[in-house]
Amino acid sequence: MLRSEKTIVLALLIQLFIAAFSSFLVVGLVSLYDPGSAEGYEVDVGVSGEARYELVYAAHSVSGAQPILFDTERAAQQAFDRRQVDAILHTDRRDGRIHVTATVPDENVRTTVTVTQVRDTLRELERRERFERSESLSTPPLELPDAPASSPYHGFTYTALIPLLLFLPVFISGSLVVDSVTEEFERGTLELLRVAPLSLTDIVDGKLLAAAGLAPAQAALWLVVLSVNGTAIFAPLRLLALVAAMAVLAAGLGVFVSLVTAERRTAQLLYSLGVLLAFAGATLSPVSPTNVVARLAIGSADAAVTLVVVGYVALAVVAYGGVRAAVGRVDATSV
Amino acid sequence: MSGSPPLPERLADGLRDAFARLVDWTRKTLRVARWETSRTADVFDRKTAGAALLAATLVGLFSVAALSTGGAGVALDENIYRVGIAPDSPYYDAVEESQPLAVHPPDESALRDGEIDALVSGNEIEHADSDRSRAAAAATRSAVQTYNDRRMLSEENRTAAYPVVVEIRYATRGDVSTRRGTSGESESAASTDSTADGASSASDSESSSAGSSDQQSGDGAAVADTGDDDSDGALAVPDIGGGGALFGGQSSGSPADIAPPFPFGSLVLAFAFLVPVNFVIQSYGSTMLNERINRRGELLLVAPLSPTSIVAGKTLPYALAILGVTTLIAVLVGGGPLSVAAVFPLALAYLAATFVGAMFARSFKELTFVTVALSVFITTYAFVPAIFTDVTPIALISPLTLVVRDLQGAAVSAGEYAFATGSFYFGSGVLFLLGVGVYREEDLFTQRAVPLKFLDALDSRLSGKRSVALLSALFIPFVFVAELLTVAVLFALPIQLSLPLLLASIAAVEEFAKSIHVYAGFAKNRFERSVSTAVVLGTFSAVGFFVGEKATAIIQLVDLPELALGEAAFATSGIPEVGATGALGLLFAPLLLHVVTASLTAIGASKNRLLYAASLVVAVAVHTFYNLAVVVAVA
Repeated sequence: MLRSEKTIVLALLIQLFIAAFSSFLVVGLVSLYDPGSAEGYEVDVGVSGEARYELVYAAHSVSGAQPILFDTERAAQQAFDRRQVDAILHTDRRDGRIHVTATVPDENVRTTVTVTQVRDTLRELERRERFERSESLSTPPLELPDAPASSPYHGFTYTALIPLLLFLPVFISGSLVVDSVTEEFERGTLELLRVAPLSLTDIVDGKLLAAAGLAPAQAALWLVVLSVNGTAIFAPLRLLALVAAMAVLAAGLGVFVSLVTAERRTAQLLYSLGVLLAFAGATLSPVSPTNVVARLAIGSADAAVTLVVVGYVALAVVAYGGVRAAVGRVDATSV
Repeated sequence: MSGSPPLPERLADGLRDAFARLVDWTRKTLRVARWETSRTADVFDRKTAGAALLAATLVGLFSVAALSTGGAGVALDENIYRVGIAPDSPYYDAVEESQPLAVHPPDESALRDGEIDALVSGNEIEHADSDRSRAAAAATRSAVQTYNDRRMLSEENRTAAYPVVVEIRYATRGDVSTRRGTSGESESAASTDSTADGASSASDSESSSAGSSDQQSGDGAAVADTGDDDSDGALAVPDIGGGGALFGGQSSGSPADIAPPFPFGSLVLAFAFLVPVNFVIQSYGSTMLNERINRRGELLLVAPLSPTSIVAGKTLPYALAILGVTTLIAVLVGGGPLSVAAVFPLALAYLAATFVGAMFARSFKELTFVTVALSVFITTYAFVPAIFTDVTPIALISPLTLVVRDLQGAAVSAGEYAFATGSFYFGSGVLFLLGVGVYREEDLFTQRAVPLKFLDALDSRLSGKRSVALLSALFIPFVFVAELLTVAVLFALPIQLSLPLLLASIAAVEEFAKSIHVYAGFAKNRFERSVSTAVVLGTFSAVGFFVGEKATAIIQLVDLPELALGEAAFATSGIPEVGATGALGLLFAPLLLHVVTASLTAIGASKNRLLYAASLVVAVAVHTFYNLAVVVAVA
């Protein structure tokens, strides 16, 4: 009992590690790409050349970019070399266009931040210029509506982190079933069945349900942890039902390949590839489980999403029946 | 027996002997390898191999399909926000075409009730007071922006559609030249800045322009690079389809095409190298553990083979398989020999870690957890730093960074290769050594808890008191990896917070590495449990560690210490950059520190587990305090 608990603890630690690392990764990347999310970080942009005033106006409406006007390119270059500005935008009017030469320091993390700010500033300039020329355009661009500042992590949490946390236990539970079934074959312990009042179906059933039951339990734990951490989770029951269905499907696949191959190496290989294949296929299909999880958890699910969950549960029930029937036809003592 | 033969003869004899033994060992190893290969071929019959190949091909096809549609096929965020919008709104098409947005009828009360997340009315986006609602509004705004960009693609009037053309240049502001420039300029700068007269400032600007033209060659590469990234970026972000091709011959493009330096495409390809490795180690772990089930490995053990040749023979086919697959992938994705050379040590580390895992695990289930944990750890360790390839030199702690650079066509120096892969080569070697130590009957076929096996493995490497020093030195690669990992994790935090954390974790890692094998020795009753023995062992361990730590001087060869954190992490390891007066003291201070803390933990270890843990805490505290003092003193 203690041994299996230790295994669960280890499983939880691994998942926590993965989740922590991917969150760390995203927080780092997002703060690189969206410097506005890092507090009080401003990029000083030196602006020079013919269209400098237009550029200054554009830069003023971009948060995080502070334009500094220079009369000559050389003055801007000197300020750049003296580290008074983080980037130079030198403008040039040619053939009715504004040509911008952006010089950014080839340094480190700041380069990414600077380039992002430069891009935002120039996109704003582009937008304004397009408006000025809108009569030459067949379809004038739409005015950009204002939007409130929002957390850049919001979408990621629901579309990547939560699906990752919910499906990882599913994959692992199937792998566990493969391990425990093939181990019986390899150790030859199924021989004992001849004298035991148990059938192979009973044993495999127990292994399958134990492993498949573990996944929703872990998923529930993650949902609680996330809620405590301030991430609102909607529709937890439907989420857990989906995870349970997925776990039964994965464990069913595990039982199936183990019975067919009766050897761990092949079984694990086939199981991993099979799960990858099924998951990739499902993700590309319109009923992508990842998307279903995201929509359920974020709270924008409609009846169709619920129907998809019901569909997966039904599929899992059918698959479970199929695996039971298949196990019943295998003669345990012959393998 | 009449006097020994002359020295050259003896030497030649010895050499011949060693050579003969080597040939014998190689022959035996190859025989085991052949046997392992044929056995594996038996297991993987044609049907399973076919099924596996089919599944692998399909998975590959799926991923290629997902990537080539620009990730649009993988609808992770489809319809996650509900936006109320009237069909006659000018924004209707923008919202309708956007993947994360779902169109709903506009209704004020629905917004209040949370039935919809954002409401477009006129030129405004209304939203409720919730995170989801704000995110929905922001997503609507960016959907409009994307929509505008997309519509511009079909405009006839290119000048009006793309009124701004950008060329981006990456320029270095060299430390030395800038500093000289500033001091030389200081008197002229104030007066000439705006008017730019005077010979001195003219020559100054000339030198600076010469400097920038110097970088022109590098710039050209940088521009070409961003071009590459654009096409890669188009793979990932369906921002504005096509990009470069649609702009005809223009070398530079619209501001929307500016991609911050992020090697997305190369990273995905680098990841492709790791995927097959994970499958191979699963098989490898199985076959190693298989030997231990029902005493199957007994036959090999009693055969006239040494454990090393058994292990090497069983490992060889898998290492070769990885090498083959890696070469194949390198050919497919356009990587050179460098990619293969960079992935190989990584693969060795996977194999070594799996081997040790298979030696320690008691069941397949345990092995699965060990394998998953290891592959997650090694993958993140290799993958996360590689993301920052273009950003910071610390990315070089991962061999995958070399792969990314190779795919980008950038050069890698021998020193950089050694730095990125050195700890992997050494680390794998040490892991194999530890694993071979328990490749013996009493450990292979017994069921023992993993920590006990670990202590066994350590103990099997101990012989006399001096071997403690050797083992301490052997741990250096792991200490190194752990410390680099902490630096990599902490470098994103502000330095006030990260520095103390870093110093404390480094102290913990080092103290653990200096004491765990001493504890193993005591636990296995290899050493006499007395304070004097403990002090002797502690001293040996400290000296071994200190000497090994000097290997971190390699750090100085690459420019890692440019990072403030890197400096803090490795300055305390006793490579003083201060004046000559303090140098000697700083060289011996760490040795003294190591001796004191290692003796402390050794005394704790000689009593029992609880006291060992307690003494470890004290030692870490002392070490942290010392580190802080050094950093403060150096600063």
